[in-house]
Amino acid sequence: MLRFLATRLLRAAVTVVLVVTFAFVVLRLSGDPAQIIMGADAPPEAVEAFRRAWGLDDPIWMQYLRYFGAIIGGDLGRSMRDGRDAIALVAERIPATLALTIPALLIKLCIGIPAGITAALHRNSPIDRAVMVLAVAGFTVPSFVLGLLLVLVFAVQLGWLPSGGQESWRHAVLPILTLGIGGAAVLARFTRSAMLEVLGQPYIRTASAKGVPWRAVVWGHALPNAAIPTVTIIGFMVGSLIAGAVVVESVFSWPGVGRLLVVAVANRDLAVVQCVLLLVAGTMVTANLVVDLLYGALDPRLRSQARGA
Amino acid sequence: MINRRTLLAGAGLAAGALPRFAIGQADNRPSITVAVQKISNTNTLEPLREQSNVGERVLLTSIWEGLLGRDYSRQLQTIPVLATEVRRISDSIVEVKLREGVRFHNGDELTAEDVAASFGNDRMFGPQGPNSSGTIRVGEVNPARAGRELPIEVPAVANRSFPGFERIEVVDKYTLRWVNRTPDVTLEGRMARYGAEIHSRRGFAEAATWLDWGRKPVTTGPYMVAEFRPDTSLTLVAHDSYWAGRPPLKQLRFVEVPEVASRINGLLSGEYHFACDIPPDQITGIERNRAFEVQGGTIPNHRLTVFDKTHAVLRNPLVRRAFTHAIDRQAIVESLWAGRTTIPRGLQWEFYGEMFQADWEVPKYDVAEARRLLREAGYKGEPIPYRLLNNYYTNQTPTAQVLVEMWRAAGLNVQIEMKENWSQILERSPTRAVRDWSNSGLYSDPVSSLVNQHGPNGQQQQVGEYENAEFNQLSVELETSTDRARRRAVFRRMLEIAEREDPAYTVLHQNATFTAKRKEIRWKAAPAFAMDFRANNWGA
Repeated sequence: MLRFLATRLLRAAVTVVLVVTFAFVVLRLSGDPAQIIMGADAPPEAVEAFRRAWGLDDPIWMQYLRYFGAIIGGDLGRSMRDGRDAIALVAERIPATLALTIPALLIKLCIGIPAGITAALHRNSPIDRAVMVLAVAGFTVPSFVLGLLLVLVFAVQLGWLPSGGQESWRHAVLPILTLGIGGAAVLARFTRSAMLEVLGQPYIRTASAKGVPWRAVVWGHALPNAAIPTVTIIGFMVGSLIAGAVVVESVFSWPGVGRLLVVAVANRDLAVVQCVLLLVAGTMVTANLVVDLLYGALDPRLRSQARGA
Repeated sequence: MINRRTLLAGAGLAAGALPRFAIGQADNRPSITVAVQKISNTNTLEPLREQSNVGERVLLTSIWEGLLGRDYSRQLQTIPVLATEVRRISDSIVEVKLREGVRFHNGDELTAEDVAASFGNDRMFGPQGPNSSGTIRVGEVNPARAGRELPIEVPAVANRSFPGFERIEVVDKYTLRWVNRTPDVTLEGRMARYGAEIHSRRGFAEAATWLDWGRKPVTTGPYMVAEFRPDTSLTLVAHDSYWAGRPPLKQLRFVEVPEVASRINGLLSGEYHFACDIPPDQITGIERNRAFEVQGGTIPNHRLTVFDKTHAVLRNPLVRRAFTHAIDRQAIVESLWAGRTTIPRGLQWEFYGEMFQADWEVPKYDVAEARRLLREAGYKGEPIPYRLLNNYYTNQTPTAQVLVEMWRAAGLNVQIEMKENWSQILERSPTRAVRDWSNSGLYSDPVSSLVNQHGPNGQQQQVGEYENAEFNQLSVELETSTDRARRRAVFRRMLEIAEREDPAYTVLHQNATFTAKRKEIRWKAAPAFAMDFRANNWGA
């Protein structure tokens, strides 16, 4: 188990280093932060002063080493826009993002899994078709289109809910629904596929032939086996809690990590981008690690393999 | 019988009663919300740091005021604001009389000391003072000034804005002298420019850090900062002791809504009273609903096509001249701007006053002339790259597509190269040839545009796109000469060089900005980015 954990952690560390390096190279080679932050009309001497002050006039490899060394020392740098600590900037946006993504995750789970199971258990019936039509519509419509449609109906036409901002819980309803509906659709499709595959297995037939009640077959045999691919998707969704609302936050003017990331990338505000990326990578890696551990809990074969190893 | 003593006692009683009466009154003034694409690029409210159009919108007329300013109800002529009188002592010294009784947001009265502090090293030039060029690296902090260091670019911007500035001399409480090291006929214009606004000396000193001050400056404007949430919202409340009368709004709130569809939806659903930065193609859709209208129009900013004179093909001025004649500017204005902007008379504005060249025009649309010039230049259809950003400017991409077709009609083989940011646009290489830009008239003199942007220290020459010996010599003369007739002739000649003989750029059209609002709100858009919510522009 320890070896398993150590391997996963090492892999996670390598992933984070690669993410940081890739982001640094791409952001720095695709634009000069000084010119971008200062704008098109900035006096050249102001741009030059900015460049010198932030060390952007040094060779790029030197900037990378300096940046990487600082990260190892726990210093993620400061925003080039207002000089504040990148960590503080990102940290103050996290609650706003989680206020959207956690309820949205609950919606995904509460709607997506039951819908997928129901569709699978009623395969090729009108219920199955209805669920799948809704699911296909849900995950093919881009979130910005869905968001704007919801705004048109519930804010502009009906006037029930605000169209954007973050003043009250009412402002969170439409963005949460936008995120939740799309995710629920994805989860419903995965759950249905996983269930259908399991329901076709010989052990399900055997259990039914033995006279085990159908409800017991589904709960005791089908669902646990179908859980593995579904847990993988849920793990991915949990990993996206921090950065999974970039588009929705922009559409609904929600001041979360996603909008901070968009503004930081546009401005090549390297420290902030890297800080968000580290956070996202960390969340994703942790979620994957938890999913790997859950596999062992859900699948006895994996447990025995691990013991055998 | 009424005598002097009873009159004074009565006056005293009335004075005591008035504030109580005012406090007891219900404040029925409206609170409004304005949806903007961006509140501040730098997340600060200090004009010297926030050098942008979006900053101008929220900072000018609402928060900050200068000694002189611009008349937003007319055509942006220079007018006195915190000053009542500006008198020339010499070519390099101007004496200013301050308006008496002006109160800052903290209750202090405006004095000459505040003006001196506003143009002082702590706010503008840094420890090295005016006309210095040294840079302190981020991290090289003077512990004694921790948290109060100026942002790196502020001294550079201040030096560029006020070249030759030496000091403010305080003559008395309400009188000061602006002393320049060099003669400058544009001093009054510079006093009215963006960046020359006045703050409270005590307000600056009491702020814990520069950033704290930069996000809640104490100024004289009609509204004061109640809360600023970077990238999210800016809430201003009425400054009831405002010198020009009680502000008409109780609260003025700017909210950042990056998506245009969201801004329009929020306006239609009644959450926002104003939605700014409306693209021209959305105007008809909004006005289809009779309860709403779109206001706005030209601003003191012209859209340009800029040439890199060092490019192999563009080295020949005849080719650049062909570019300028091949553009049907009116067609662009009609088709992409619904006719709601204009074609200006070159890189100048009427508020330049006596320097305005009323008979000057942009090069005539003449495809035959363009073809003739290309034949004379021996142009053989070599590709000419056009570096383009995706709609950084309103209508930028469609304008570029139209331009390329117009140029093709004249025989020019221009090829669009999409770029992601300004750094990529300006990157020096043999493929840099044509690009977009816009120039503003920052104050009432051509130095603010032609010299500032295209002169020897302007961006175009600094990035290595352009140089012309005569133009550069004239730039220096325009900046330093005090002979007004000669300056006018110099400006004329500079326009001839930069727009005709050896084109550095060509002006396409004046830029415009549009604001949607409910029709019932009686308010007029200024011919600028600034939104005026003062008493004379509300409910009139």
